[in-house]
Amino acid sequence: MKRSSLLNSVYKNKFIYLSLVPTFALLLTFNYYPAINALYHSLFEWDGIGYEKFIGIKNFVNLFKDPVFIIALRNVSILAISGVIISITFPLLAAELTFNLRNLKMQYLYRTMFVVPMVVPGIVVLLLWGFIYRPDGLLNNFLTILGLGSLTRPWLGDFNTALFALIFIGFPWIGSFNYLIYLAGLQSINKELFESSIIDGATRLQQIFYIDIPMILGQIKLILILTIIGVMQGYTTQVVLTQGGPGYSTMVPGMYMYNSAFLYYRMGYGCAIGTFLFGVILFLTIVSRRYIQAPIEFGGTK
Amino acid sequence: MNRFYIGEIFKHLSIIVLILLTLYPFFFLLISSVKSHEEFTHNFLGLPQLIRWANYTAAWKAVRQYIYNSLIMSSLTVVMVVFLSSYVGYIFARYKFPGREFLFYAIISLLMIPGALTLIPTFIIVKNLGLLNTRWACILPWTSGGQIFAIFVIHSFMSSLPEELFEAARVDGAGIFQIYVKIAVPLSYPTLVTIAIMHFVGTWNDIIWPLVTITKPELRPVTVGIMAFNSAYYQNYGPLFAGYILASVPLIILFIFTMRFYIQGLLSGAIKM
Repeated sequence: MKRSSLLNSVYKNKFIYLSLVPTFALLLTFNYYPAINALYHSLFEWDGIGYEKFIGIKNFVNLFKDPVFIIALRNVSILAISGVIISITFPLLAAELTFNLRNLKMQYLYRTMFVVPMVVPGIVVLLLWGFIYRPDGLLNNFLTILGLGSLTRPWLGDFNTALFALIFIGFPWIGSFNYLIYLAGLQSINKELFESSIIDGATRLQQIFYIDIPMILGQIKLILILTIIGVMQGYTTQVVLTQGGPGYSTMVPGMYMYNSAFLYYRMGYGCAIGTFLFGVILFLTIVSRRYIQAPIEFGGTK
Repeated sequence: MNRFYIGEIFKHLSIIVLILLTLYPFFFLLISSVKSHEEFTHNFLGLPQLIRWANYTAAWKAVRQYIYNSLIMSSLTVVMVVFLSSYVGYIFARYKFPGREFLFYAIISLLMIPGALTLIPTFIIVKNLGLLNTRWACILPWTSGGQIFAIFVIHSFMSSLPEELFEAARVDGAGIFQIYVKIAVPLSYPTLVTIAIMHFVGTWNDIIWPLVTITKPELRPVTVGIMAFNSAYYQNYGPLFAGYILASVPLIILFIFTMRFYIQGLLSGAIKM
């Protein structure tokens, strides 16, 4: 009886199920199947064409014995730590400075100026920085003019400077998105908090540390987690500018996965790196969900 | 009073320095794009003495096909994402049917899957479907992946609408699709536009996926094309920079019309944790 009523209800909604078909057909082909396929093939030696052989967790064991992968892990850690430090200081500083201006017209003007770079496609920004670092590029020309000609070098072609050069891309690092998120956070702080703290004799600097930062902790944590996750799986910069080189000085796991698959045709090994990245990102997401939720909503926005 | 002014001046100066540093590379790009080769080498930092538009003509010849390809690929993706996600989001938000919760969470759970995991198998599938070196190699995976977050956003928006609106239409005898066209779409117009912009910009900027799936020069989108252009015009500075700018123009136009909208969205505190 119950079963037939379920069937009945499914039949009654047949048009609804039918209209979900295109979405699920796409998702099954381009999302579910590849995800499961990647996890599956991480346990295989696989060339992507025909040859595949089950080897258990050997890919993962090899991964952690692979000196290139160890270097990639080291590099991505350096990039993640510097990325985090950069993304919670410079855009926040710019937002604080803008927020504290008395002149609202100027505030609006500055805000617009900081957001202008957003209209430039990422690839153009990367290529432009590629030019800045070229032997005949902007940075070396500046150094020569300043009489520091001895410091000039191919910044992306030098083992010692390539990774730092990648970190330095976008200096002074006022990313439009981060900047706007911080500014929104500051603007939503209840003005009474500032007023009552002034009565208590607080200086502006004290206000920043005891009101501003605690009140926008939610935004800070959001940027923090987005930055870490973005850096961990990112390798677009490397694909465009360095291919992980010179040597392996800018290699990161994502780039190594790309090379393993499309340069060496070690698709199984590439899938193992992809699985590893998935694990790391899943872990970070779960931790951040746990840890971030509680302390934010106090005070509210209204 | 004096201290107050010094403080304000200090803030203005700091901001101006930060803005100059942020914008200088783009300014350099702009002035260099109209310099001749000689002027670029001899007057590296100064303003151009003579505007050389020929750089733009040369660059346009090289990049116009890429821009055309990107326009087609991004627009088709946006149309498909917006249609699929708005319709599916609407159905999940406004109709009850067996398996609804399960199917919805089956979609949303895909948000946890990073592109790094699926890159290789998706490539193999696209290859086996014979789509390599066609525009569909990008359009279909972009649409598939793009609809996930879009469904999530539209679902939460449509769930927040009052039931009376839909009830009234249902009483009048409107069907699922009619209600979607007449009520759901007009009400969620701003959300749909935001999603459209997001995906247009996102696909326009995608580098890695078209790089592995499209190798035919005449099918390359802007990102991959401009990388090839970058190697070809490596020492030909004027046209090189003009090409960078031309590759940015479509996004600049899009942002001119929608930037206020976007900034307002972020500033209104829509994103919070």
